[in-house]
Amino acid sequence: MYQYDVIDQQLVEERVAQFRDQTRRYLNQELSEQEFLPLRLQNGLYVQRYAPMLRIAIPYGMLSSAQLRKLADISCRYDRSYGHFSTRQNLQLNWPKIEDVPDILAELAEVQMHAVQTSGNCIRNTTTDQYAGVISDEIVDPRPYCELIRQWSTFHPEFAFLPRKFKIAVNATESADRAATQVHDIGLHIKKNAAGEIGFKVIVGGGLGRTPMVGVTISEFIPRADLLTYLDAIIRVYNQQGRRDNKYKARIKILVKALGIEEFRNRVEAEWTHLRGKESTVPMSEFDRLASFFSEPAYETLTDQPSSLTSKLTDSAGFARWYERNTFTHKKAGYRIVTLTLKKAGQAPGDATAEQMQKAADLADKFSFGELRVSHEQNLVLADVRQEQLVELWDAAKEAGFATPTLGLLTDMICCPGGDFCALANAKSIPIAAQIQDTFSDLDYLYDLGNIDLNISGCMNACGHHHVGNIGILGVDKKGEEFYQISIGGASGHDASIGKILGPSFAQEEISNVIQKLMNVYVEKRSEEERFIDTYRRVGITPFKEAAYAKAN
Amino acid sequence: MPKLIKNGEIIENTYQWLQDAEQEVSPNSIVAAQKWLSEKDTIGNIAGIWLEAGDGIEFLEDIDVNQFDIIGVHFPAFTDGRGFSYARLLRERLGYKGEIRALGHFIPDQLGYLLRVGFNSFQFSDTVDLEKALLLHKPFSITYQGDVADPRPLFLRR
Ligand code: HEM
Ligand code: SF4
Repeated sequence: MYQYDVIDQQLVEERVAQFRDQTRRYLNQELSEQEFLPLRLQNGLYVQRYAPMLRIAIPYGMLSSAQLRKLADISCRYDRSYGHFSTRQNLQLNWPKIEDVPDILAELAEVQMHAVQTSGNCIRNTTTDQYAGVISDEIVDPRPYCELIRQWSTFHPEFAFLPRKFKIAVNATESADRAATQVHDIGLHIKKNAAGEIGFKVIVGGGLGRTPMVGVTISEFIPRADLLTYLDAIIRVYNQQGRRDNKYKARIKILVKALGIEEFRNRVEAEWTHLRGKESTVPMSEFDRLASFFSEPAYETLTDQPSSLTSKLTDSAGFARWYERNTFTHKKAGYRIVTLTLKKAGQAPGDATAEQMQKAADLADKFSFGELRVSHEQNLVLADVRQEQLVELWDAAKEAGFATPTLGLLTDMICCPGGDFCALANAKSIPIAAQIQDTFSDLDYLYDLGNIDLNISGCMNACGHHHVGNIGILGVDKKGEEFYQISIGGASGHDASIGKILGPSFAQEEISNVIQKLMNVYVEKRSEEERFIDTYRRVGITPFKEAAYAKAN
Repeated sequence: MPKLIKNGEIIENTYQWLQDAEQEVSPNSIVAAQKWLSEKDTIGNIAGIWLEAGDGIEFLEDIDVNQFDIIGVHFPAFTDGRGFSYARLLRERLGYKGEIRALGHFIPDQLGYLLRVGFNSFQFSDTVDLEKALLLHKPFSITYQGDVADPRPLFLRR
């Protein structure tokens, strides 16, 4: 994992001091509400429905057990003893006091954490695959590149006041895109060219929100040395030419769409000719330095499927189920990647209590070299678990509520905080998640349905990624009443697509019933082994629509 | 005339920022770039020009910008970051050596960023306490990226 040196450490400490002073001036009324707003936002501090909300960065999802313990501890002493892991590899605290935030940041800095650029119209926390570095089919480990981007984007002097927030995601595997790169302002796919050189396919102009779009390719291959100059070129064009008259039209996707990708590319290339080859070209020594932080832990030489594992797999259906669903192939023999799900019924998706955070940190120490990752589906991951320890881990995970064996299934939903917390919400989203979890509690049935992404957002802003859910649920407001619009056919991987709206919205109590009807259509129409999304793509929306709106008779 | 911050000091302002096209031009004037462009043969002696957000810097590419003692950049709102790119481009692409002055609605907390992209003078709104603003002149002692003062990113300096 990346370790700060004295320079990195000094910078976060100076940031804490700066924010302490800004907060003091705000509380003294030397800074107006309006002036403090972008300053606090660039430090992840929102003012929400009931209280402020502090969004803490977890750069590219990596957490040490010490950091997670610190988060748990902070949530106890400054908040209500829980936190919310968001889709963007951040942790949100829902109830801090503004006057405490500088102290919280100072404590975070002690464990090399911060809230820098977790909000505001700047380059946000860069995200990546939660399985980075431990899967066999990845081109290279994307994390050193993410760290490079983190440093480049941190307090970038030219791009702190962009037309709108700006999100970058990195992926390095052909077989999957777990970072939803195509719905980011910039998506980077690490590639190797014919000469064996590493570079990036660059996708630009994706995004969700009011005008959801899948990004388009601006370059098939940018050599890695040129990454930062190319990013500078793209964002410089966007900073100058992106719309600023209407916040809903200010994203880069609107500029790319308005100009067309050809013209946008020409402008970026014109800008790049001035930057390419200059000082920001990254030397090999820097890649080596960054990669050295992500070297392999002390793996042992082991074999796959030790007998303790194989016998438990035959003896215990519960374990077998968990193994099949919540664990994933590791590049090293004898190891397995384990997801600790945060989708226990009765708990809001992505929420973890302080006790759970402590427990997860303990598990990381005991089973995974003291490290964890946060996934964009709002779960935690132990990346390096010895297969012979899986049984023991399973028992411990069950006890802590992390073993709900539903990863990737209908009830492993992404869900934003919605009307329970968020000031922008049109409707609550957590009760919808709960309703669906209650209705679809039969594991055999869920397994039979297979992989389905169900995503819920409380409003058009799409924090819950509803557009790219195979099933998306969006809270809408109709004359002051909460209703829900359902879309189907969205996807966020390499086959990214934006879902289509089924039709008129539904009342809260109807939702599970409608989902049930959609599932019935799927089960009836699917061919062997066909995923929900593939059946939808083959048969189209009509049968789903007919079933959803059929009158009972 | 109200004072301003220049090169890290509070000084008297000797130039006049002409916001209104009707105002009379003098050798102390900072004139809107578009006005200067259309009247450059007749306008006479001026101190410099100022860029409006949205102007870009492309129209200056074939012009000797070092003929101006000062180039102002107007921020219509402190959240409008176009001026950050303009200053940097004036320095790095057009090789402008003179004074670059921030005008309009920017705030003292932005000073760190403004300095790094090449601004060296700051005409704040009247309500800003310049002594206090000066304290925010250099918030961080460390930078990851290169900037106008030193184009080398930290990875070339570490
Ligand atoms: C509770 C406070 C929150 C506020 C005030 C908030 C605000 C917003 C706003 C205004 C947008 C609109 C973006 C646009 O117009 O394009 C947005 C989008 C988004 N937010 Fe949030 N959000 C909150 C919580 C969250 C949470 C909990 C998550 C993750 C679970 C999240 C992740 C995202 C994501 C992924 C998008 C999608 C935007 C895109 O890719 O285009 N936010 N948020
Ligand atoms: S989607 Fe809307 S309701 Fe949900 S967190 Fe985002 S802004 Fe709030």
